[in-house]
Amino acid sequence: MQDFINIGKRIPKMDAEEKVTGKAIYIHDLKIPGMLYGKILYSPHPHARILNIDTTKAETLPGVKAVLTGYNIPTIKFGFYKDNVPLKANKVCSFRDEVAAVAATDPDIAQEALELIKVEYEILPAVFDPEEAMMAGAPLIHEEHVGGKEKKPTNILNLPWRLVSGDVEEARKTSAFVAEDRFKVTWVTHCCLGTSGCVAQFDLKNNLTVYSITQIPSLAQRDYTDALAAMGLQGKKARVIKTMIGGGFGSKLDTYAFEYIAILLAHRTRKPVKIVFSREEEFFATSPRQPAVIDISQGCTKDGRLTFRDIRMILDNGAYTSWGATTPSVMMMPISSLYKVPNVRYVAKCIYTNNTYSQAMRGYGNPQATFAIDSQIDILAEMAGIDPLDFRMRNANTPGEVTPQNFKINTCGLRECIDAVAQKLDWRQNRGRRDGKGLGMASMIHVGGGARVYKSDGCGTIIKIDDFGTVNVITGATDMGQGAETVIAQIVAEALGVRVEDVVVTHTDTDICPWDVGAHASRTTFVAGNSALGAAKKIKHILLEVAAQSMGESPESLDIRDRVIFSKKDPEKKTPLGKALRAAHYTSGGKMIMAEHFYDPANENLDREFKGNLSVTYAYGTHGVEVEVDKETGQVKILKYVAAHDVGRAINPMLLEGQVYGGATMGIGYALTERLILKDGKVMNPNFLDYKMLTSKDVPNIEPLVIETNDQFGPFGAKGIGEPGSVPTAPAIANAIYDAVGVRIRDLPITPEKVLAALQEKKK
Amino acid sequence: MEGSMKKFDYLRPQTLEEAFSLLNQHGKKAKLIAGGTDVIVLIKQKAMMPQVLISLRGIPGLDQIRYDGALKIGAMVTHRDIEKSEVIRKEFSALTDAADVLGSIQIRNVATIGGNICTAAPSADTATPLLVLGTQVKIKSLSEERTVPIEGFFTGPGETILKKGEMVTELIIPKPLPNTGSAYSKLQRRLALDLPILGVSVLLSLDKGTVSCSDMLCTTSPISSILHTMEKDELTCKEIRIALGVAAPTPIRAVKAENLMRGKKISDELLEEVANTASVEAQPRDSIRGEAWYRKDLIRVLVKRMAMKSIERVVRPEETIFPERLW
Amino acid sequence: MKQMIKFILNGEPVELEIEPHLTLLQLLRDKLELTGTKEGCGMGECGACTVLLDGRTVNSCIFPALEVEGKKVMTIEGLTDAQGNLHPIQKAFVEYGAIQCGFCTPGMVLSAKALLDESPKPTEEEIRHGIAGNLCRCTGYLQIIQAIKAVSEQ
Repeated sequence: MQDFINIGKRIPKMDAEEKVTGKAIYIHDLKIPGMLYGKILYSPHPHARILNIDTTKAETLPGVKAVLTGYNIPTIKFGFYKDNVPLKANKVCSFRDEVAAVAATDPDIAQEALELIKVEYEILPAVFDPEEAMMAGAPLIHEEHVGGKEKKPTNILNLPWRLVSGDVEEARKTSAFVAEDRFKVTWVTHCCLGTSGCVAQFDLKNNLTVYSITQIPSLAQRDYTDALAAMGLQGKKARVIKTMIGGGFGSKLDTYAFEYIAILLAHRTRKPVKIVFSREEEFFATSPRQPAVIDISQGCTKDGRLTFRDIRMILDNGAYTSWGATTPSVMMMPISSLYKVPNVRYVAKCIYTNNTYSQAMRGYGNPQATFAIDSQIDILAEMAGIDPLDFRMRNANTPGEVTPQNFKINTCGLRECIDAVAQKLDWRQNRGRRDGKGLGMASMIHVGGGARVYKSDGCGTIIKIDDFGTVNVITGATDMGQGAETVIAQIVAEALGVRVEDVVVTHTDTDICPWDVGAHASRTTFVAGNSALGAAKKIKHILLEVAAQSMGESPESLDIRDRVIFSKKDPEKKTPLGKALRAAHYTSGGKMIMAEHFYDPANENLDREFKGNLSVTYAYGTHGVEVEVDKETGQVKILKYVAAHDVGRAINPMLLEGQVYGGATMGIGYALTERLILKDGKVMNPNFLDYKMLTSKDVPNIEPLVIETNDQFGPFGAKGIGEPGSVPTAPAIANAIYDAVGVRIRDLPITPEKVLAALQEKKK
Repeated sequence: MEGSMKKFDYLRPQTLEEAFSLLNQHGKKAKLIAGGTDVIVLIKQKAMMPQVLISLRGIPGLDQIRYDGALKIGAMVTHRDIEKSEVIRKEFSALTDAADVLGSIQIRNVATIGGNICTAAPSADTATPLLVLGTQVKIKSLSEERTVPIEGFFTGPGETILKKGEMVTELIIPKPLPNTGSAYSKLQRRLALDLPILGVSVLLSLDKGTVSCSDMLCTTSPISSILHTMEKDELTCKEIRIALGVAAPTPIRAVKAENLMRGKKISDELLEEVANTASVEAQPRDSIRGEAWYRKDLIRVLVKRMAMKSIERVVRPEETIFPERLW
Repeated sequence: MKQMIKFILNGEPVELEIEPHLTLLQLLRDKLELTGTKEGCGMGECGACTVLLDGRTVNSCIFPALEVEGKKVMTIEGLTDAQGNLHPIQKAFVEYGAIQCGFCTPGMVLSAKALLDESPKPTEEEIRHGIAGNLCRCTGYLQIIQAIKAVSEQ
């Protein structure tokens, strides 16, 4: 066993002290002299033509410096499908459509100005059900959008998601048992405690700086540069500076209208403009997790080997397109590669409606698909008369496998995870009692070694060391609270032979930091970690070369440990690191101790058939739950919760546990209590009172089980963990409820009402 | 940025008389504010737009809990103070149940019981306990003082019988009969920071304080089996009160259900009938917080459970942990 | 019409004139530029704005600023000692991984302080109850509970 100084240690986060003393500056705390406050006027209708906007009264309110509408700004198209603009002209397609914006000297005046803007609408018929919106004659959300073979106006997006491997129809015919079900998942939202916001500022030459809480600084920079070009500012620069981020979970993986609005207001007023969302706006004007209607069928042989998986999904795309429409690309992952399934077919349609539009949320489609798949695994296992534990073991993925989607499975601790969970829950003893208490489990697969969802999956790191041994690591990665900074510092410290406290990590400024594609796909430890590791190795090489001269040894015979360079042949022959560093700089013909490394993992983009080795390695896990169901009220109580994850290696077990606790808690809320309630397109619960995220009294004692498979490609063997904790929670709980009281709930959240109704139905 | 509020003036009278005269002086433009946890939120939501707030915090004598013959709770007593009051926990338990689960500690440190009943939300946690405890509400104005039973206090969602220029100063709860127990159940989706889907309070006065099967109480044994076993003790219900919240436009007493049980011997069948009747008496609605059918079904379940808990509190008064028949 | 208030803030006397409609949160963040106290919802539903008023937790976002007259207010900035050393609760939060994005942390720490000041040896149930008015989306609460337990065992 290796004797690490920094790896595998429960090292507190480097920014923890700043945060615990209230010194950390979040976007809400940022004040720039002369700063104005922006506010947005939203549509009061789900679907309407804009006939007239009268801003005269707002413009003359003292303190108001600019009023913008879709009619006095340049056209900036943004979003994955470029179907969105910052301020709508001609028509509004949902309640969160931005219609006008004001910048004023204080937020109260800006709010008052909004109330003075008079907009005349002609209400249009609206559609809120994607299956209705698919039919001919449904109101068209984007009239110019055409699709299908005949290129007719339609609400169906031209995103024919389709994955086929093998022959599902044939496999269905020869299966001994076939299960067929419809599952439904609805909108839930991130609930970052810090609401969204930014400050936009132009310099005298019209270069833009945006103070942001983005998870994608390099890509946001691109989006802003495109916006500048649309504003007639071609060639001007965009700089993204991150403040402390009050929560991410995928909510900041896209750029939003409010950012462009802040930029436009800043340009119009020649002053910095801050827009910060109220909690209500955070609920109704940011993009939630993608809902789905999932028709799924799976089959198996008599002895419980999976034969096929056939899935059709309808996705409510809402009024505009963001990452929600691309969740099928990630849903394909569990569909093709969770458990060994030889024949797979998946078809998904995204449909415009007048509802809110979705984007990425922890798992990016995986929680939705896994709920359907792993709930049905239990249904199928029961048909076949096989214990779900054995069923899963029988079909578990193994190292070295190539899945129907051409994923090359490297390390795979799935069997170990299933086993660990079964042991902890005393599965054989406790399952099948049907006395109100029950056990359930479910597994997951997620990318664990980056994910080539864009053309690049890369991250750059620059490291420089000063005269005294302070190691400055400048990374493109983003730390949004998960601890990326600290993990990168641990990796660099270990590789270089220094301590974590010697390392300073900078990640907040695109003018200084190298490129990174973003904090998504649980890639940061793996990709940014490998990038930092690569740079650290290069720097170590330079250091040893410099020390070799003064120590009279060859570089190959030297090593560094705990700030001391020593000879491997004769460890007593040593020199402190600082001394070697000063010798490097403070001499004639000196050398700068600096290195850079851009790491782009050897994974593949999905090809035209959506196949390809998306990630270098994959993360597996299994969750197990014991629940108690109150048969008179339908309430579900979690008595025991275990979360086993194959993490490659836990670089920082304390932070890793934090990801498991946090991810699982979010997932338990997804399973049991959380729901963004939309009625005729309007969010009915845009507040913490009626949106039920779990409190400290609700969270069960989650036991994380860390399985280390030491992946050869991960930095010190590590794989990703950011999202996996949120993925298998719902099916594990649904399966446990079935074991407890014999009712199967197929739509989330599993509320007491649904359980009670099912129990009453069962009695009849 | 904060949800911006329309500006208002904030006055801090030091006596009741000063408060009344300010109230009369400013008329419609003014609103009274106690803790502010409802009023400030309503102002931010633009559901209320007063130009003047008259604070009651500075007025002495409104924040006392006294027990001299009857329990007297000043209108400015906070829910946290109620939570911590030993005498209320022992003898007026349903009210403590409500204080234990209302909002959060931060809210309870500030929110007052007077404010809670004056906001008069159908979901007010303290309302159904106060109803079963037989509370009288003391109302004062500049010129007069009256005391009304709490049954007549709530007139509609968010509405009370308070006239312009009146304020609640005190709640008076009569000393309960011997062998009385009470309990409140808040049906909620999570265990804190929540409003009830349904609120059920029960108060039971028994003819004696002991039963032979007392060790069966406060366990997870089904209520039916406990009551069947208890039948040999021939426990009689001398008084029963049942109150329901979020089951009608105002918190209500389930009078028909009560009448079935008052004076009768307690049995499982009778309690079942009483619970069913309470469920039929109620008229809950569908809302985003809960569906009507579920509320109706759960009235039946919770009336039975809270009756059992009330009995347990009589027979095992030292018990502080009750079986989690409910999560 | 502006009114004068005098109160003790983090151990120091403060006197200033404020507009009557200000909440305590606005007073702290906007007037006194103490940005450690956060606004999570503005409605008293999340606890991010928790401060101590005469040792008791309140949601400052719905607390009328004028009512701190003559009272003692403690914000997160007041927890470190005069030399800038962390309070034991702050130390434990750092050491037990109880902080991820950190937005809920100031309010959470003050709720923990109020809890431990009142019950120095709380059970796990009491800890959960003591911080139930503070929402956290990142940590799942468990490491926060561990940190508070650790302080109580010191």
